Amino acid sequence: MAEVEETLKRIQSQNGVQGIIIVNTEGIPIKTTLDNASTVQYAGLIHQLVMKARSTVRDIDPQNDLTFLRVRSKKNEIMIAPDKDYFLIVIQNPSD
Amino acid sequence: MKKSSLVFNSSSRAMNTSVAGHQVSQSSRHKWNFAGSQTRRNSILVGGSNRKRNILDRNANQAPRKPVRVLDNDGNDVTPLPLYHAEPGDMPSKPGRFLDEIFSSSESDQLKSTSSFNMRSFGSFLGSSLPSSLSTTASMTKGTEDSVPKLDIPIIPPPPCGQRKRDNVKQHVTEEMLDDVVDVCLTETDTISLFDLPPLIFMSEDADDTKAIKERNLQYAELCKNRTGNDKYVERSMQTFSGAPKEKQIQTDKIVMVDEGTFATIWDIYDSFCDQNKNPESEKANNPETTVNTSKGHEKRGEKSSSTLSIGSTIGSLLEMETCSLNAESNPELIMLTESFQHSLLVMERSIVANLFQPKLAAYRQLPIIKDPDSTVKPETEEKSEEGEESSSSPTLERLWAFSCELTRGWNITCMVWNKENPDLLAVAYGDCDSTNQKPSLICCWSLKNPTWPERVFHCHSCVTSLDFSANNPSQLAVGMYDGTIAIYTVQSRNNIHCIANSSECSKRHLKPVWQVNWSKQEITLSGEDRVEALVAVSADGRITKWLLCSNGLECIDLMKLKKTKNSKKKAVESKKKTEHMGSALTPGLCMDFHPTDSSVYLVGTWEGLIQKCSVANCHNVLETYQNHFCPVNSIEWSPFSPDVFLSCSSDWTIQLWKQECLTPVLSFTSAQRAVYAVRWSPNWSTIFAAINGLQVEIWDLNLSILHPTIVHQAAPGVTVTSVLFSRGTDCVLVGDSEGQVTVYQLKNLSVGQGKQVDSLEDIIGSAVSRYL
Repeated sequence: MAEVEETLKRIQSQNGVQGIIIVNTEGIPIKTTLDNASTVQYAGLIHQLVMKARSTVRDIDPQNDLTFLRVRSKKNEIMIAPDKDYFLIVIQNPSD
Repeated sequence: MKKSSLVFNSSSRAMNTSVAGHQVSQSSRHKWNFAGSQTRRNSILVGGSNRKRNILDRNANQAPRKPVRVLDNDGNDVTPLPLYHAEPGDMPSKPGRFLDEIFSSSESDQLKSTSSFNMRSFGSFLGSSLPSSLSTTASMTKGTEDSVPKLDIPIIPPPPCGQRKRDNVKQHVTEEMLDDVVDVCLTETDTISLFDLPPLIFMSEDADDTKAIKERNLQYAELCKNRTGNDKYVERSMQTFSGAPKEKQIQTDKIVMVDEGTFATIWDIYDSFCDQNKNPESEKANNPETTVNTSKGHEKRGEKSSSTLSIGSTIGSLLEMETCSLNAESNPELIMLTESFQHSLLVMERSIVANLFQPKLAAYRQLPIIKDPDSTVKPETEEKSEEGEESSSSPTLERLWAFSCELTRGWNITCMVWNKENPDLLAVAYGDCDSTNQKPSLICCWSLKNPTWPERVFHCHSCVTSLDFSANNPSQLAVGMYDGTIAIYTVQSRNNIHCIANSSECSKRHLKPVWQVNWSKQEITLSGEDRVEALVAVSADGRITKWLLCSNGLECIDLMKLKKTKNSKKKAVESKKKTEHMGSALTPGLCMDFHPTDSSVYLVGTWEGLIQKCSVANCHNVLETYQNHFCPVNSIEWSPFSPDVFLSCSSDWTIQLWKQECLTPVLSFTSAQRAVYAVRWSPNWSTIFAAINGLQVEIWDLNLSILHPTIVHQAAPGVTVTSVLFSRGTDCVLVGDSEGQVTVYQLKNLSVGQGKQVDSLEDIIGSAVSRYL
């Protein structure tokens, strides 16, 4: 457990990382470094996006599955590691 | 006169008995009739066409009827099919009960003559009606009234409910049961024949029947003739009253109908199919169609929530979330402890770091550096950096990044080595070689994918002086330490034990510092495939040992003992040394290297400045001694391109280039007046090697100059450079210093010749040799 906490701290302290959110299957954030409003917004919207992405990947080949999703935008990059029990979301602005 | 106690054996036919029955007296007739009717009823239930006796057949005495086929004039098969198929659960009521129903008589054994008569008339009534129906299909056009059909009374279904013999298991229907998905299997039962009307009028195939039938018909005709005007027969009519109808009304709750829909996506179907095959019992739990409204007692909510969200409507997803929140999810702590979460963290960290280090890593891997189109760097600074780049075209080291973290800050780096299989994995040893104070040291395994934090961290009790990765088992790392211990670590998994072998129990272990460990492939095994790898160590106690991994640790055998050589000039010094060491005639070995192609030959550099060429086979004598240095030889390395050439460096400020056959060095390099601690050939170019001498890193290119190093890179003030390592496949060199930083430099603007590598080196050597001659 301590190792996990340490890793999360390290990620948080990397250059440009704006926030980390861990969401469980139901879309409820269980750990976050952002404020509540943003967290809830991110959790809800990204949940739908991941579902759609996963559905797309699996429609093409049902034996395949989504492992990582990166959304690069003008201002930042959202990286999502989905799993059947949780989502790990990190928002980073790499040019900081 | 037939006796009343007729024996009904299987060979007798009911028809026969009925014929016989006509002749008996009245008193016995009803008995017989009843019995006959009993048998008749039983015979109804006997399978007609397929002659199977089923459970409904109570009376085993009943003779099986032969299959009867009715053919019309054209020869078509118009056999009447049974009208009624009893359900398999329905047990027939006792024949006695049936009679009771009709005649409302409780006692089955006693029948009045009226009942028998009624039976008769009933039978005849039916008999008259049935043949009439049959006559349309059969070719029975003769007087149907005259014949008594061997009638089997058809049972009117169903038997009354109150007298069902079947055991009804009263099931208490619960709420949960209503929600269950019940599988109803409809199967076809065997054909149960309930009504078998064999033809009586026309001649069937049975010859034995025919005569009896004819007789019976005659008798009946006679009977009918006698009937008219006879006192015994009275006409009587009956009327059934129809009950008064009554209206009754019932009200029920409205049956709520709900429309449901779902997307059957390809993966949904695939998932359901897989789950069904895997576990047919829990199939109902995975039914995706029941997700929206059912919220009780289902296990795998997560899967179903994913399938319903595929509908895509926000309303649907909101509703889903509401229903899901009813089920309390497991502890968030548990999620974070799972293996997959840690893996996700690893991948995430690497992605983040890759974003930051992308230009540097691209340069390392010699990929074109793509500028980030969204970066907010101001254009002015860009121009400056461009100018700076254009001006310098001379060979230089460009700093890319440094492997360093909080954990390793301030440590002195003693050794660095690449993994033999995964070229991105680097093992670095940190420690202070202080003979007075045994300080614990650190080994970190870094990955190129994350320069900010090591993948593995091992702690050792003593200062680590040497590392080497195995080639046969790429996850094994051999460690040589300052206190003479040799250990083998495995870097594979994060959680398991790391040190898999330790030489501390071995009796012949080294007691002095182990300066170098080397895995080398030795003899060819019988199969000829994988060559056995031996771990060879050279130590300050003058022994070169080969270590083997046994079941209870490491065992060693001596390969060579480094004897002191007699030197006339140093006799006085030697005698002093002898008294000091009390008979130890061995000199410390500092470095060794195996020949790249002939792995039985190796070179050892000693404290005295000698380089001994030894063989694995011969453990007493050296093959050659190369003598030139007069100070300890710090590092020695065969050239990876030319098999006869090796480099050695020493604390006497020189680097010597030797050829194997020649006992004096071919070339000698000096640049700074400092001890040279390490020298390494470049694995990519044959004429380039790197040397460190404490304050600077020198890159020598023999093509350009054999007198001066091509690139000289000064370390930061206060920092000493302690180790150097080239990386294969790229033009980068790693430099370790005393601050715990492993800096990656890229060699820029080194113009490497176009000719073949080996040739260029040979040319240089050749020209150098020719200069001497």
